[in-house]
Order: sequence, then structure tokens, then C-alpha cells
Amino acid sequence: MISVQHLTKRFGSTLAVNDLTFDVRPGVVTGFLGPNGSGKSTTMRLILGLDHATSGHASVNGKRYRDLDEPLREVGALLDAKAVHPGRSARQHLRALAASNRIPFSRVDDVLETTGITSVAEKKVGTFSMGMSQRLGIAAALLGDPGILLFDEPVNGLDPEGIRWIREFFHALAKEGRTVFVSSHLMSEMALTAQQIIVIGRGRLITQGSVDELTAGAKGEVFVRARDSNALEAALAREGATYRAEGPGFIVESLDAAALGELALRAGVALSTLTPQRASLEEVFMDLTSDDVEYSAIHHAGDS
Amino acid sequence: MNPQPNLASVIRSEWIKFRTVRSSVTGVFLTFVLTVGLGALVTSTIRSHWGERSALRRAIFDPVSTSLSGTLFAQFAIGVIGVLFVSSEYSSGSIRTSLAAVPRRLRLVAAKCVVLSIVMIIVAELASFITFILGQSIYSGVVPTASLANAAVLRSVLFAGLYLTLLSLIGLGLGLILRQSAASISVFTSLLLIVPIITLLLPQSWQNTMDRYEPSQLGQAMMSPTPAAFSFSAWMALLILTLYTAAIVGAGSAMLARRDH
Repeated sequence: MISVQHLTKRFGSTLAVNDLTFDVRPGVVTGFLGPNGSGKSTTMRLILGLDHATSGHASVNGKRYRDLDEPLREVGALLDAKAVHPGRSARQHLRALAASNRIPFSRVDDVLETTGITSVAEKKVGTFSMGMSQRLGIAAALLGDPGILLFDEPVNGLDPEGIRWIREFFHALAKEGRTVFVSSHLMSEMALTAQQIIVIGRGRLITQGSVDELTAGAKGEVFVRARDSNALEAALAREGATYRAEGPGFIVESLDAAALGELALRAGVALSTLTPQRASLEEVFMDLTSDDVEYSAIHHAGDS
Repeated sequence: MNPQPNLASVIRSEWIKFRTVRSSVTGVFLTFVLTVGLGALVTSTIRSHWGERSALRRAIFDPVSTSLSGTLFAQFAIGVIGVLFVSSEYSSGSIRTSLAAVPRRLRLVAAKCVVLSIVMIIVAELASFITFILGQSIYSGVVPTASLANAAVLRSVLFAGLYLTLLSLIGLGLGLILRQSAASISVFTSLLLIVPIITLLLPQSWQNTMDRYEPSQLGQAMMSPTPAAFSFSAWMALLILTLYTAAIVGAGSAMLARRDH
């Protein structure tokens, strides 16, 4: 369990994180979403005690990260996969980490195996591809068999096969009852990976909830279609519905599916399709963060 | 789980980090080669030109500090080892990984200091004694020699190793303060080479009182069996250099503790 309370971080005149409050619970994958520069990485660094909060606080399992004596046994984190001394081998890197938290070296072999990099364990990390570096970063996060895992943009630089692997891996970790907190600026990726979503923009919390909650109701539109398109349109117009043509049918904004069914019955029009429209997570995200993108295309157009 | 702060495990981790990076292994090797190799070169040159020396120069000749002169070159390699032990964590970004594993930041610094001190004291003392013994055997028969049986001579050779060890810690402290390899190495080199040049521009009376505070002069004082004019005694020089080291490492630790990473 990660708990963030009124967390605020100011860099000079910029509020990177602004009064952020949320909990990340065990047993599910929680996505941490926001445009680039919205404060996701800063929040993660604050949780890990790497940055000092201006006000508010973050805790893991009820304790400040800095007060953990052997933190790798409770929290595993992957912030930047390339942040490893390039001259060390993968195994040496993991051994140094393991030693600092009194984790037996047998765990090094375990996590190398789990992440599929045993065959390159003796190679210098500087020669690793981005995908291999990400796997090494994940191996390091898993070293202490922690109940809480944080990953900052873990799919960056991965090939499709790697992305699928990582997604299934996160699900497996959550199923084991761990807290899995994954940041991304890609909504489409999070829709497939996370069950819970926390959305931030310009350091502020925009919304949080399950993926289902966020996509349902965000858009109360219904797609309706009938053989007799003209009769349907006449009925819609007669009842004062707000609608627009969409392919062979209509998108109705003002009525829900049940009301549309009754409308069609009254008008004697047989419907061939009646589908409530679910917003894609992507659309919800764009909608929610459009005001909070730090540098939007419009600003650039205005500048030049 | 052990609730006690566990410095020993962090020391073990830092030892793995130290020995698995080529720069530190190369640095240790260079320290050894420079101290012993250049010591042998200097002492052989002195031996072969001994006949050309004036009586006065023969009278003030010090077989101890001359045989230890390889340390003047090794001190730069030593500084670089200390600097890189910290600055490479910043250049690679691995400082975040290190601090996430050891959030008690001062414990991380303490572990680095312990590892560096132990490695350097072994390497530097070994190099100092070998270069001294080698130098005396080169002098033997032509140039006057010194013996470790003399307490002042033994102290000079021991302090030569301590001088190098303290310099490596100064390098580590500069790495903590500046975080960049190039900047830290420049400052380290300036402390040893440029500061003496600046004091040369001062009036002679100021030079006489100020020169002796320079790290390189402190080193000379530590390695000489008898103190030169206007210089500190070996023990006093050791004390002052230790205070410099403590101040620089202390400032670096305070900055590490306060900084965002």
C-alpha cells in the first residue's frame, strides 16, 4: 500500500506536484497517467525519498521510505533503466544491490531467470539494448521480493513482444497480492495493463477510479440504426432529440438506450442496432488532460 | 528483520561496486606503478649523478623523501579513484538506485569512505614501503641510505601511505560536492598544483606562513624525517590534512543529504 497525502513539490517557481492525495492498493495494477511533464516521475521520486517534499508526505506500508532500514525487501522500483554503471555486469550490479539489503545472492539468480536475462548476466550493462536494460531494471526491483513495486514508464523502448511480456508480468505480480504502481503517458497502454487509474496533469490530481468507472458514463451517447432511416430520423426530430448522422445510423446524445427503444416503439420504427457508446480510455484521457498539457500544439502555434 | 542500522551490509555492497569497475582497478594499479616505478627512476637518477653534487647538497640530502617521490605522481591517480567512486554514480544515474537501496544517505557515504580508506591504506602503504626499500637498495653503496629501524624514518614511510589515503578521501568529498568527474578532478588537481603557484605570487613573508598549509606541502612535511624550515612537524601536518579531509567530506555529505536526486 502506497499512501500520498497532500504531497507538494516546488522547484523554484514551478509546482511540479500540487497537493496530490491518493492511495495505491495491493492486488491490482494501478496506472499513473499524465502527459509528459505532469509530475509523475517527481511523485515517484518523492515516494522513494529521493526528492524532499515541499509539504505533505508519502508513505509505503505506513512508513516514510527514508525510515525503511532495508527498503528493497518492501519496495522495488524501476525509475530509469539506463541508470546503471555501464562498466559493471548485470550480475555484479544485482549483487551489489542485494548485499546492501542483506538479500541472499541466490535471489540474483532467481530474478535473472524470471526476467529472462540469465544468458547476458556476465555482459557489461553498457552493451545492453533498451529492452534488456528494462528487464535488468525489473530484475533489480524484484530482488528483495517486495510487496510494493513502482515502475516509471516501463514500456518505453520495448518491442511489442517485450510490452506483452511486461503487461502479463504486472498482472501476475498483482495477482500475487502485490501493490503494482505503473506510470505512463500512454493511455492505450494503461487501458490494457491497469485496473485502477490515477490521472494527473500539471502536478494536480485530475481523477482516479477503475478503468470501467472512467470509461462508463463519460460519454452518454447511443448509436441507433433502423432499416427505415428516414422514419427514424423523423421520429428523433419529432421528439426533439439531439443527434447527428453517423454512417448508416445516428449518434444520439440526449437520450439513453432505454428511452430510444421506447421512442422507436411509439413511432413504429424497427431498430436494427441500438448500442450505448463507451468512450475509449484514450478519449477520456484526452478530454481530462487537454487543459493540463503543459505545452500543447496550440501554444507553439501561437508562439511562432 | 534486523532493526539495527546495518553499516556492514552497505560496506559489503560498496566493496562489490568498487572492485567491479575498471576505473578503480586501473587506478589502484596506476597508484602502485607510479609510486614504485617513478620512485625507482628518481633514485637511480640521483645515484648515477651523485658525483656531480656539491658538498652542501650532499650534506642536506634526504634519502627518505627522495625515495618516496613517486607519491607526487601517484597522488593524482589516487584523487581520481576517490572522485570517480562517487561521480560515476552521478554520471551514470545509478546514484538513484543506490539511494533507493540505502535511503539513509550518510550511511552510504560512511560505507564508501570505509571501503576507499581500507583499499587505499593497503595499496598506498604497500607501495610506500616497497618504493622506500627499493630506493634504499638502489642508493646502497653510493648514496647515503636510511633505515626503517629509525623511528622518524619509519614514521615518514607510514605517513606517505596515509597522505595518499587522505587524498583519495578528499577526492571522494569533492565528488560528493561537485558530482561531475571533470570538475572534481580539476579542483583536486588545482588544490595540489595551482594553489602553490598562486601563493608564489604573494610576498615572501606571507609565503613563509601560508605555504605550509598547502596540501602538497603538508605531504612533504609528513614524508620528511626532519621538518624543513617554515613547515609543520609531520604529526601536525597529518592533523591538518585530516581536518581538511573531514571538512570536505563533511560538506559533501551534508550536500548529499539535502539534495534532491
